[in-house]
Amino acid sequence: MQPQVNIPFSNTETIPGVTIVQSMGVVTGSTVRAKNVFKDIGAGLKNMVGGELRAYTELLQESRNEALYRMLVDAQARGANAVVNVRFATSSVAGGAAELLAYGTAVVIQ
Amino acid sequence: MLEAIFWIVFPIFLVAAPWILSGIGTFIYQPKKKQQLLVREQASAQRGDVLSTLSKPLSGKEVKQTQLVLANVVMSPSWIQILIGGILSLFGGEINVFTKMVDWSRREAKQRLREEVEASDFDEVINMRLETTIMTKTKGGKDKTTGVEILAYGTAIKY
Repeated sequence: MQPQVNIPFSNTETIPGVTIVQSMGVVTGSTVRAKNVFKDIGAGLKNMVGGELRAYTELLQESRNEALYRMLVDAQARGANAVVNVRFATSSVAGGAAELLAYGTAVVIQ
Repeated sequence: MLEAIFWIVFPIFLVAAPWILSGIGTFIYQPKKKQQLLVREQASAQRGDVLSTLSKPLSGKEVKQTQLVLANVVMSPSWIQILIGGILSLFGGEINVFTKMVDWSRREAKQRLREEVEASDFDEVINMRLETTIMTKTKGGKDKTTGVEILAYGTAIKY
């Protein structure tokens, strides 16, 4: 499990119930990851039957958390104490690797 | 004689085995999974759907706590579905097998989001978004689609 950064973040324009004082710009975090070759072969076999490819679901979940974590570290480095309007983008780089990007607006809240 | 029969049957079996497996997956395994999803969806609907709105909270109540929640799923069509889809795409129009598959994965992702929020002590999810990505794999210089990833995310709030 990765270390946690304890600042609130949400995908709404404002965090309900708090006042935003200042914007600190756009923060991003990204990572490119792949599963090992055995999991790839397993997923290739599961492909025959159809349905969920659990190895890839897991992979994307882990990498998305990592991207989020990097984004929060970036926000903290800028002196922000919250991130609003978080968005995700995914693109699959060839060969079972996926690039995950998380971005949002770093803000200072009261 | 027996050996000759073996050498005729064995190669046919090698070719047919994946397709038989694929058939079992398409017509037995997948409907079973869809049935399970339907039961989970109905259970969630009875407790009251937590995915309340795609915008700001509707009720004017004071919000105490918020958190971003995520749920994702990667689904792939079976070989038989890819074959049927390929044939249907020659004629154009709706490609039923893929419509069903993507619809299934989207419902699965939303259901996982619901279950995650129900397990925590949050009341509902606002600003829910869905995102779709095609996963590809390079094989012989060509990009082949292995599956489609659906991400459902939103802000969980507690009153």
